[in-house]
Amino acid sequence: MNAFQYATASSSESAHELVASNGAYLAGGNDLLSLLKDYLVSASILVNIKSLPGLNKIMHGEKAWTIGALVTVAEIERDADVGRAFPGLHEAAAEIGSQQIRNVATVGGNLAQHSRCWYFRHRDTVCLKKHGDLCYARHGENRYHSLFTGNDCISPVVSSLATVFAALDATAIVLRDAKETRLTMSELYQKAWEDPTAHNSLYPGDLILRVEIPAGRRRSAYLQASDKHAFDWALVSCAAAADVVDGKLKWPRVALGSISPKPHEVAAANEFLEGKTLDEATAAAAADLILKEAKPLEYNAYKVPLAHALIRRTLLKVKGDA
Amino acid sequence: MPEWPAQTKYIGQPTTRVDAAPKVTGRARYSSDIQANGWLYGMILRSKWPAAKILSVSFDKARGLPGVKAVAVVRETPFTVRYYGEEIAAVAATTKQACLDALRSIEIKAEPRERFVVREDEGRKADSPQVWEGVANAPAPRARNTGDVDAAFAECAAVIEGFYTTPVQIHHPMETHGSTVSWTEEGVTSWASTQGISSVGDGLAGSLKLDQSKVRVITDYMGGGFGAKFGAGVEGVLAARLSREAKAPVRLMLTRFDEALAVGNRPSSFQRIKLGAAADGTLRAFEMDNYGTAGIGAGAASEGGGGGADIPAPYLYKVPNSRVKQKAVAINAGSARAFRAPGNPPASYGMESAMDDLAVKLGMDPVELRLKNDPSPIRQREYALGAERFGWKQKYRKPGSSPGVVKTGVGCAGAAWPAGGGSHQTQGEAQINPDGSIEFRLGVQDIGTGTKTVIAVVAAELLGLRPEQITVKVGDTHFPPGPGSGGSTTCASISPTVYDVCTKALQQMQTQSGLADVRGENWYPACKKLGVNPLVVHGQWQPGLSSDHACGVQFAEVAVDTETGLVTVTKVVAVHDCGLIIDKLTLESQINGGVIMGMGYALYEERVMDDLSGVVLNPNFETYKLPGIADVPEIDVVLLNMPERGVIGIGEPATVPTAAAIANAVANALGVRVSSLPITPAKVLAALGKVPAVAT
Repeated sequence: MNAFQYATASSSESAHELVASNGAYLAGGNDLLSLLKDYLVSASILVNIKSLPGLNKIMHGEKAWTIGALVTVAEIERDADVGRAFPGLHEAAAEIGSQQIRNVATVGGNLAQHSRCWYFRHRDTVCLKKHGDLCYARHGENRYHSLFTGNDCISPVVSSLATVFAALDATAIVLRDAKETRLTMSELYQKAWEDPTAHNSLYPGDLILRVEIPAGRRRSAYLQASDKHAFDWALVSCAAAADVVDGKLKWPRVALGSISPKPHEVAAANEFLEGKTLDEATAAAAADLILKEAKPLEYNAYKVPLAHALIRRTLLKVKGDA
Repeated sequence: MPEWPAQTKYIGQPTTRVDAAPKVTGRARYSSDIQANGWLYGMILRSKWPAAKILSVSFDKARGLPGVKAVAVVRETPFTVRYYGEEIAAVAATTKQACLDALRSIEIKAEPRERFVVREDEGRKADSPQVWEGVANAPAPRARNTGDVDAAFAECAAVIEGFYTTPVQIHHPMETHGSTVSWTEEGVTSWASTQGISSVGDGLAGSLKLDQSKVRVITDYMGGGFGAKFGAGVEGVLAARLSREAKAPVRLMLTRFDEALAVGNRPSSFQRIKLGAAADGTLRAFEMDNYGTAGIGAGAASEGGGGGADIPAPYLYKVPNSRVKQKAVAINAGSARAFRAPGNPPASYGMESAMDDLAVKLGMDPVELRLKNDPSPIRQREYALGAERFGWKQKYRKPGSSPGVVKTGVGCAGAAWPAGGGSHQTQGEAQINPDGSIEFRLGVQDIGTGTKTVIAVVAAELLGLRPEQITVKVGDTHFPPGPGSGGSTTCASISPTVYDVCTKALQQMQTQSGLADVRGENWYPACKKLGVNPLVVHGQWQPGLSSDHACGVQFAEVAVDTETGLVTVTKVVAVHDCGLIIDKLTLESQINGGVIMGMGYALYEERVMDDLSGVVLNPNFETYKLPGIADVPEIDVVLLNMPERGVIGIGEPATVPTAAAIANAVANALGVRVSSLPITPAKVLAALGKVPAVAT
């Protein structure tokens, strides 16, 4: 890796100041260190934010829960209250990486992680995402790539937490230019949808502080399909959340990961599900709506039936016995 | 003729590895742990072009960087590189980062070739860019004909045709390739991660133009090789050259990235098979047209064997009329090397898939079809034994008839391994000390299979001692020479050798001590009579104590989610024979490892290359997928102990039939075949007709 300076910040403000325009925040380091070692990212300074006060807590309020950006994935996984309130969040956390990775991976890092596209990650290909001329995956090995995109890059968002946060209608609170900015999951990745070189909508120096999840959707579920049974990326992931009143869905939301540069949500499907009693046919109709605009490529068309199955299963899981 | 004892205390029983404690506590020093005095890091610069002429390599900037002690170019410029990742130059420096910085400072003038080829189907075309100038990528196939194939097919009651394909698989031993090399005026010492200390010594002496007496190779502990670690390797020779220039030991271990590119792989196969049988299932006609790639090379270029892409066909079976055509297609990719049972896992996958497809067409039980045609009486016994243990009769159903979304299925396949016998040149010695301690020294190496333990078990049995009383030293070319750990030959090489050493030791001890029986409780009194000097006894491999040709059959049960395509292997019954069992525990461990590796071949592993850039896209364990513990099923190992056959190796046959058995189980579950390994969710969904067509 290239040489860098190193500093430990004691407050969000000082962290922001230290990182300036060319630095990077260091928390769990899972993604950042491998990016640095592979010379995919260069930072003049690494600002250790692990001891920033207040960012490592899970808090339960009347209207919303707050999960600090430094809360680890393992902490989410083993927090029984989170498991009861947001089963889907618990399930998503449990699927991330390996136990060792979850022990150090943070919520903020999971949301801010870069593309896993194997062309982007390769040291000797200069693809669109690396400011090259061409998306190699589009005409090459695209089995792990997107069914939807707003630009020429087809690398998908792979954050499992972003998928479930989207279904839970969560908001990321980001420190930007000394002010707190609120971004929905859709907004947090909108720039990756539009701009092939972007991984998310964060500007240099932006610091994710916490995520707020509105209470109210008492049911949620997350499922992912992978090549292997554990410690593998999702080929497709799906999260759904809703409340169920008298057997009918209230505020239903479905989001998918690994098929679009941002969590894939279709408002028409959510509207369709509102007030419905869930059964196989309803779930399938919702899945049709969600995948209607899919543009499969040579090697990723299998993701269409796979996503369809996951949507149906996740919705039926949300319904549970109700 | 010598004979193994009929009654045994240790042979055939489970004995814990003699080096288990150092291995699990981290005390064992593997080749990659060696820290020779004043050692430097070594690293290799690899081609970023899939094909290029390297005109010049300049180290002017690299040499000036802090910590850089030596540089080397792989050969005199100009030279040609033929695949992404081929070695160009190397550096030695005081830190890893200094090496990395130095590699990035090396200036190369190159003429990249505009055209190259990384896909077998492209390489076959007449106009494909030539990997070797002036030589066709796909020469005329080698053909072999027996009988009258066309006439025989015309008379068959059932004929099937299939196109079965297997990917390039990478060895990926847990410890990467490499060594620490120290070159001083006395000579060269290499602490190598190798499965052949003698072949590494030979290779280093040859490449460095040194007397063989000046080269010593030491391998105390090494982390796997699977056939890819016989030679000194480009990396070993570069380490030596850097050491000479730096006047310091150089540790040059490859990275995981490097492992995916340049140190061997199993060739792919694209097998078009036609198979026909009479109404009673007797095989009558077989035809195969197969091609695969061994990358840029074969034979001599593959550092110790392997090479080529041919596979044995029609594998286990005798078919009176057969026509086989095979060829290797050169592409711009790293060369193949011997890989655990070279040729056999792809052969097993293709032929055993065809057998199951034929069984379906004949309306026959797949086990019955095999019993009808398999010429091996041992496998006949193993099928009977395994079917009983597995519950085949209860579990086997018509293909695709399993109800529900998650469908279960069962499959089986057989293995053959023609080698596994002993190397007749194996020698060994024991030093018996007056205090009763005894040390065996053999110039073999423990590739991880339990070689040291086998020596201890055999010696303990014959001397009437306990395995822990035997000190075992291997992995040093100063010891009496032994074979490389390949062809599953080690066990059958060392067991008769240790037998001979023990027999001679007992004779000499009797003579010197005057005691009629020096074994067991008489051992220490007898040793005391040796006086001051230890007794050193030399022995060598003896006939009559080992043989070859192990068999084996495996049964697999799977559950396939027909909506997500995920295959879960729920059970494998592995029935194997290897003659006289020496250590049951390390034997079972070998079979477990073989099954898990076969499972990786069936479901996960595949080198993926990019057409446009020529790079390997998955040079890591993130996307080169290997089985994890969550993927591994219950493995039921059933052993056939056949002392009358003597000792036979097991390393290779254990992995041969797994992928075929799993693939057959998946086909049985689905009612359609996924005829391409690895069987990924994408391919399962495609086989089920669920994937929408895409205009390309």
